[in-house]
Amino acid sequence: MTAAGGTISILAGTVLLRLTLTGTYTRYVRPGMGPWLALTGLLVIALGVVTLLRALRTSRTAGEGGHGEGHGEGHGEGHRDGHGGGIGWLLLAPIAALLLVAPPTLGSYGVGRGAAVDVRSGVRGFDPVDSRRGPVPMSLLEFSQRAFDHGGESLEGSAVELTGFVAADDAHGEGFRLARYQIACCAADAAPVIVRVVGIHGAEPSRDQWVTVTGSFAAGDTEVPALVATSVAEIAAPDDPYE
Amino acid sequence: MVRAVTDQSPPPGAHTAEQARSVVRRPDVGVAIVAVVVVAAALFRPLLQDLLDRPAIANWATVFVAITVQAMPFLVLGVTISAVVAAFVPAGLLPRLLPRRPALAVPAAAAAGAALPGCECGSVPIAQRLVARGAPAPAALAFLLSAPAINPVVLVATAVAFPGRPAVVLARFLASLIAATVVGLLWARRGGDDLLDRARRRIGDDGPRLAVLTGTAQHDLLHAGGFLIVGAATAATLQTVVPRSVLDAVADAGPLAVLALAGLAVVMAICSEADAFIAASLTEFSLTARLAFMVVGPMVDVKLVALQAGTFGRRFALRFAPLTLVVAVASSAVIGWWLL
Repeated sequence: MTAAGGTISILAGTVLLRLTLTGTYTRYVRPGMGPWLALTGLLVIALGVVTLLRALRTSRTAGEGGHGEGHGEGHGEGHRDGHGGGIGWLLLAPIAALLLVAPPTLGSYGVGRGAAVDVRSGVRGFDPVDSRRGPVPMSLLEFSQRAFDHGGESLEGSAVELTGFVAADDAHGEGFRLARYQIACCAADAAPVIVRVVGIHGAEPSRDQWVTVTGSFAAGDTEVPALVATSVAEIAAPDDPYE
Repeated sequence: MVRAVTDQSPPPGAHTAEQARSVVRRPDVGVAIVAVVVVAAALFRPLLQDLLDRPAIANWATVFVAITVQAMPFLVLGVTISAVVAAFVPAGLLPRLLPRRPALAVPAAAAAGAALPGCECGSVPIAQRLVARGAPAPAALAFLLSAPAINPVVLVATAVAFPGRPAVVLARFLASLIAATVVGLLWARRGGDDLLDRARRRIGDDGPRLAVLTGTAQHDLLHAGGFLIVGAATAATLQTVVPRSVLDAVADAGPLAVLALAGLAVVMAICSEADAFIAASLTEFSLTARLAFMVVGPMVDVKLVALQAGTFGRRFALRFAPLTLVVAVASSAVIGWWLL
């Protein structure tokens, strides 16, 4: 297991480093974790290299029939500790998968399956949005919090720009649902924020398509805040797909 | 001089010719298997791509990879600390430092958990190393449970998730500390100490310090990493297959709601630094039920139980995890009733 273990470590570290350098890691964890992932990758690679070198040296001395001092060092755990090692092979599964195809950003599948973000418990007392110099880009979370703050006063008469993906519709209400996940740590704790987009002309964008919607807040007594769209532009998934 | 040599090298005759041969053979076979797996995966790439076009499978894969990637830095931190302990802490030191009586050692160890900023994956190899280094098992287990729950990072995250409600932070701190201490004391009183024999087995901690350091780190990393994969796959499956809306039915049902969120914590296996945000979003549940979610999560979840089973043995985990679950739920119920 030792030489193989070293190899697995090198692969695991390489995958982590690659995820970080290509920016793919933001599909899975918060962008702030980048440096830590890179550091982790380097450490794991270094550990793997040391282990591999030691294992190779050990097997060479053993191969020559020598009983050198290096003999007892690296490979010991595999023998003395029967339960060890074996399970480590499982690390190969995500490594192999990630080397080839990185799973995508979370899509609309999970919207409606988990609890949505509670926007009512957030900040109170927003300053009005000033959109005299064009629509104001805003997170879905901020939009929703503003919508529930004094009935959406701070959004009155202003144009905003929201970016998210199209979630499957819940079969009532017009327009489509725009969603984006909030993550605290990683994609496993993702919770969606949802905004209903109404007033669009022409075909609705397809499910899971990323869009930037420009429009204004539509006051109403609904659980999901609504945006009257003036334009809907299809875009590629952003670098940081979560809020 | 002679003495130093006998201390550091294996006794003569410990390595038979057969062992030497297996040492030569094994690395080659192992590396070959690694290579085969990687090549096979490359050949099946189109198949993988097709699978990921299905939303449910893509969701599973993303959650699986996310849990694994997110846990790696913490796991490496834990493994590093564990290896440093193995290499640099003399064998007799820990038992001397800790009070002999469990009644003192357990609460002290539980409180010491506050000093390790990280989430639960890192604390398992550390606790195992503490046991291997002669720390009393109940104290090491109390530390194992409390460290991911009451460290400053987690408490700050909780305060951010529940703005204007410091009582939630206090309740989380107290309920977790009490649960960890009670489990430790119960284990001291009637836990099967023999269940921890595996953790006490000395694994490669003789020899030059650098060799011990890297050998231990490599072993722990692969070992814990493998079980992390099992746990992450389980959690991803449960998250993908079971819609969380099944819980809404019991949201108003008092004690049942507490049990439901405790169960959710076990199933979701999210990082203790993130669970407060999920708890905050479960608004249809009582604060006590959400407290149970935050107390149980860092102590018992599918990923953590897999790690514990791998590190300490299956029989240990079968007894330890249910005990911890019961104590954690009870502690949350009492503290929640009192404070929230």
